[in-house]
Amino acid sequence: MIQGRYADGRAAITHDAECDIGPDAITFRVRDAQHIWPYGDLRRADDGAGLIVLKRRPDTGERLMLDADAKDTLRAAAPSLFRPRAFGVEPPSVVGGLIAGAWSLAAVFLVGVPLAAAPIADIIPPRYREQIADISWSQVEALTEFCDDSDEASRVLNDLAYRMMTAANVEGRDDIWVIIVDAPIPNAFALPDNSIVVTDDLIALADHPDELTGVIAHEIAHIERNHVLKNIIRSVGAGIFFDIVFGGAGAGQAVAIASVNLASLSYSRDDETDADMRGLEYLDAAGIDTGGLARLFDRLAEQYEGEEASDFPSLFSTHPATSARAEVARQRSRAGLAPSMNAADWRIVQSSCGMDPAAGTESEETPKPPEQEGVAKP
Amino acid sequence: MTTEATQEHPFSHGGRFFDVLGLAAKNAGLSVLTLTLYRFWARTAMRRRLWSRVTVLGDPLEYTGTAWELFRGFLISLPCFFLPAIFVFYVAPLVMDPVLAIWLGLGFYLVAIPLIAAARYWMRRYQLSRTRWRGIRMGLAGSAGAFALASFGWTVLQSVSLGWYTPVARMNRAKMMWENTRFGDQPFEFIDDGESPQKGLWWPFALGWFAFPIAYIGSTLVVLAVVAALSGGGFQVPGADGDADPTAVLGFVAGVVGLTLLLVLLCWAPYNAAAMNRIASLITLDGARFRLKAKTFSLFWVQLAGWVITILSLTLLAPLAGFLQVRYVINRLEIVGTPKFAEIGQSIVEGPRAGESLGDAFDLDLGVGVI
Repeated sequence: MIQGRYADGRAAITHDAECDIGPDAITFRVRDAQHIWPYGDLRRADDGAGLIVLKRRPDTGERLMLDADAKDTLRAAAPSLFRPRAFGVEPPSVVGGLIAGAWSLAAVFLVGVPLAAAPIADIIPPRYREQIADISWSQVEALTEFCDDSDEASRVLNDLAYRMMTAANVEGRDDIWVIIVDAPIPNAFALPDNSIVVTDDLIALADHPDELTGVIAHEIAHIERNHVLKNIIRSVGAGIFFDIVFGGAGAGQAVAIASVNLASLSYSRDDETDADMRGLEYLDAAGIDTGGLARLFDRLAEQYEGEEASDFPSLFSTHPATSARAEVARQRSRAGLAPSMNAADWRIVQSSCGMDPAAGTESEETPKPPEQEGVAKP
Repeated sequence: MTTEATQEHPFSHGGRFFDVLGLAAKNAGLSVLTLTLYRFWARTAMRRRLWSRVTVLGDPLEYTGTAWELFRGFLISLPCFFLPAIFVFYVAPLVMDPVLAIWLGLGFYLVAIPLIAAARYWMRRYQLSRTRWRGIRMGLAGSAGAFALASFGWTVLQSVSLGWYTPVARMNRAKMMWENTRFGDQPFEFIDDGESPQKGLWWPFALGWFAFPIAYIGSTLVVLAVVAALSGGGFQVPGADGDADPTAVLGFVAGVVGLTLLLVLLCWAPYNAAAMNRIASLITLDGARFRLKAKTFSLFWVQLAGWVITILSLTLLAPLAGFLQVRYVINRLEIVGTPKFAEIGQSIVEGPRAGESLGDAFDLDLGVGVI
C-alpha cells in the first residue's frame, strides 16, 4: 500500500488515500469509498519533476497525488504514464507536420505568388497602377530634382523611344514616357505608371547616344513585360506571409511598404535577363547598334560594380553580372549603323539639367562609335 | 481530510534557470525551424513547466491548456484581425485615396488600443480557465468589452494628464481584473482598506516620471567623465570638433543610450515594486489577505536580467524573462490567514474553447503568461 492524497474536483481540499498499484489499474480507498482508475484512462498532471499527480481522461477535476517515491513502482506497472504523451508533449509527427506546413505556406507565398505575379499584374486596373506610382513618385521627388530646361531633351528621348517601340510593335507605347531628372548617380528606372526616369548623371556618363538609347530600350522592356508591378506583388506577398506567420503587423508590413519604395524596385535575375534580351530586340528592330549598350555596361562594371546599394533601383545590379550582360549585347552588335541620335539632338540631350555638352562628347559631327573587337558583322 | 496549517510561506517556485533555459532553447530552435508556427506548442510547454513548479501549500499548480486551443485561436484571429489589417496596411495605401488610407490606418490604431486591452482580458480569461490547483479551476468572469472601454478611457486620461493618471489607472485595471477573478466558485476581492488605493505610489511614480531627463543628463555626464579619464583630456563630446572618429562617436552614443536605459529602469523600479506590493495587499480570497515583498533593487535586477536575455537572444529566449519575474513574485508572496478550502467548490465560470487569438497577434505575453 502506498499513501497518497486524493482531490475529488468538487472542493479545494485533499483526502488521504491508500493506494494499490496493480497491473492494469490503480485502486485507492478514501474513507469508505473505493476508486479504480485503469491506467489507460490516466494522464499526468505534473511535469515529472517531483510529486506525481494523476488525472483522468476526460478531466473530471479529480486528482490523485503520490510521492515521488512511488515512481519506480508505478513505472513498472504503467510505463505509458512516463512517456511524453502522458504529460501532454506533442508527438514528433506534430512537429514534422508543422515543419511541412510552414514551409508549404512559405512556398505558396514566396514561390506561388511570384509565379502568379504576372497574371495578377496584368489585371490591375490603371487607376490602382497610378496610385501605386504616386508612392514611387513621392520618392523620386524626394531624392531628385526635375530639370526645368529639359523639355526639348525629353522630346528627343521620347521620339527615340517611340521609334524603337513602333519598330518592335510594343503595345501601349503611347502611355510610355521618358523623363530626365537631376540626381547624383548615373541611373535609369521604370515606374508603375509606365514612366522611365533617366538621370542627368547617366546622360553625362554616356559617351555616345547609342549607350543611352540601349538603357532606355532596357527600361521600356521592363514596362512592356510588366516587371515593375510583378516585383511589387512579389514583395507584398512576402510581406503578408511574414505578418501571418510571425503573428503581428510589423515586419511584413515593412517589407511590403519597402516594395513600393524606389530602393526595392530591383528586379529578379530572370526579369533583368528578359529585359536585356527584349531591349536588344528593340534596338535591332530600330536599326540601332547594340554595341553602345555593351560599352556602357563595360564602363559601369568598371566604375560602380561592388558599390553599396543606393536609394535607387540599380540599373547595373549585380545579377546578372554586368560584364556578362555587356558580352550578350556585344555579340549582337552590328557595325556601320547610324547613331540613334544625330549630333544636334545628342547635344540637346547632353545640355539638359544645365549640363555642359563640352564635358561629354565634343564632336560637332554625328557621333561615331569607337572601334571594337569581336563585333558581329551585319 | 488534510488540514491546512497557517503558513507564512505557502507559495514557492521551484523552477531552475538552466532547466527553463533548456526548454526555451528547444522551443526557440523548433520555432525557427517551423517559421514560428511552433510557438503555440512552445508557449504551452513553457507554461506547463512554469505552472507545475509553483506550489501552494505544498501542492503544485497545473496548466491544462493545449497548443491546439492556441492554434485554433490563431486561426480565428486570421479573418477577424489579420484580414482587416492586411486591407488597411497593404491594400488601402495602394488602391484608395492616400489621405483616406492614412485616416483608415489611424482609425485602425484607434480601434487597436481598446482591442489590445480586450485581448489582454481574453488572454487572462483563457489562462486562468486553464489553471488548476487540486483539480479546482480558476476563472475570470466579467466582460472583456467593458474592460476594454474602461481601459481606453483610462488611457485617454493618462495621455491628457501627461502620464500622471497612471497610478490610478493601474489600480483601476487591477481592481477590475481581480474582482472578476475566481478560484473555483470563490471570487477574489479587491478591498477598500480605508486608504487611497494609490497610497505610497506617488513619490516613486514622480521619480519614474522624471527619470528620463535625470537619466539622460546623468548618463551624459558619466560617459563624458569616462571619456575624459580615458583620453586624459577635458570634457569633450567625440566628434564635436568636427574631426569625428566614427568608432568613438558610436561608442559615446551607445554609452549614453545604454546608461540612460539602465537608469530609467532603475528609476521606475521603486514605483513598480510599490504598485505590485500595494495591489497584492488589497487582494483577498475568502478573508485571507496577501502580502508581496517586492523590493526596488531586487526587482530592478530581475527586470534587467530579463531585458538583457530578451534583447541578446533577439526575443527567442524571452520566456526566460517571464520565468524570472514569475519566480520573483511567487517566492515573495505570502498569505495572511487561510481560506476555507473545504468550502471552495469547482468553478462555474465557463472557460473559452479557443485560445488567446488576439493576444498572440499583439504578442502580449512574450510566450509566457500575464497572470
